Amino acid sequence: MSEGQEVTAEEQQPLVVQKVQEQYPDAILDVSDARGELTITVRKEGIYELMAFLKSDSELAYNFLADVTAVDYSLMEDVLMKHDYARFTVVYHLLSTERKERLRVKVPVHEKELSIPSMASIWKVANWLERETYDMFGITFDAHPDLRRILMPDDYEGYPLRKDYPLRGRGERETFNFEEQNV
Amino acid sequence: MGLESQLGDNIFTTTIDKFVNWGRKNSLWPMPFGTACCAIEMMATLASKFDLSRFGAEAIRFSPRQSDLLIVSGRISIKMMPVLKKIYDQMPDPKWVISMGACASTGGVFDTYTLVQGVDGFIPVDIYLPGCPPRPEDLIDAVIQIQHIVEQESVSPKRQSGAIAS
Repeated sequence: MSEGQEVTAEEQQPLVVQKVQEQYPDAILDVSDARGELTITVRKEGIYELMAFLKSDSELAYNFLADVTAVDYSLMEDVLMKHDYARFTVVYHLLSTERKERLRVKVPVHEKELSIPSMASIWKVANWLERETYDMFGITFDAHPDLRRILMPDDYEGYPLRKDYPLRGRGERETFNFEEQNV
Repeated sequence: MGLESQLGDNIFTTTIDKFVNWGRKNSLWPMPFGTACCAIEMMATLASKFDLSRFGAEAIRFSPRQSDLLIVSGRISIKMMPVLKKIYDQMPDPKWVISMGACASTGGVFDTYTLVQGVDGFIPVDIYLPGCPPRPEDLIDAVIQIQHIVEQESVSPKRQSGAIAS
């Protein structure tokens, strides 16, 4: 996957990168710009405070959380090496409706501690988006108000968007109980 | 010619089956079950350009209890299948089913962990309509095929096609 050109130190860093580095000097692991789409990769530690800062800071004002999802990089050795062999990456897409600026925030998450703070108390929309990410990848969101499956049936087992999950499933199509569902 | 010659020009005679089927086939009330792009083609079929009312089937009811033709247009996930089954069960007899498009009929390209591979495993299907999605003309053709099926029915339980075969 092409991450785009690395932003070199000589160039003027975008405002958001400057402000985050000022506020949280250790947080940013990587900054990349793919055709004007800015992506910052940050540490999981302190992510809640960082995201709250991105929204509350009057100059940044990322007031809209457009998407929360995740990526399973287990088959991509080059990305794994960059991320200290963290299998999953949680991805947040932010938009500032005032500045008309978008930002992608990536957070590598190790499989052995597969949880990340919930952003539902910062952006309410995170509630359902995080439930979808939990449903598809099995990443748990700490302090989430209602962490249940959202797309798959409640009694479904497994996380279908993980790369080791077979496309045709593990026989769910045959074993699913079509009679005793609350419809 | 028998009775008709006595009745004059204003009165026709026919059989009760033909009379009822003539009414039924020309006033099908579809229950749309649109879950994907096939539903867009179904909407086009109902709209003015293709105008399904030319075939008497424009009275779309979003209540299964007022419908006699179920049009399954789109992919059905395992979680949605109990809903579709319940809607089919709620429709009063006699009722017919069109499985519109590749996904409803076979799962289509979505041979995945969550998709029902053909609704005919759960509800009886009268017409399978191929296409991805089928054009409105194809759906009109399917409705005409349903009309031909309706013509074969009988109001008498003894003369139902199934009863004769067994």
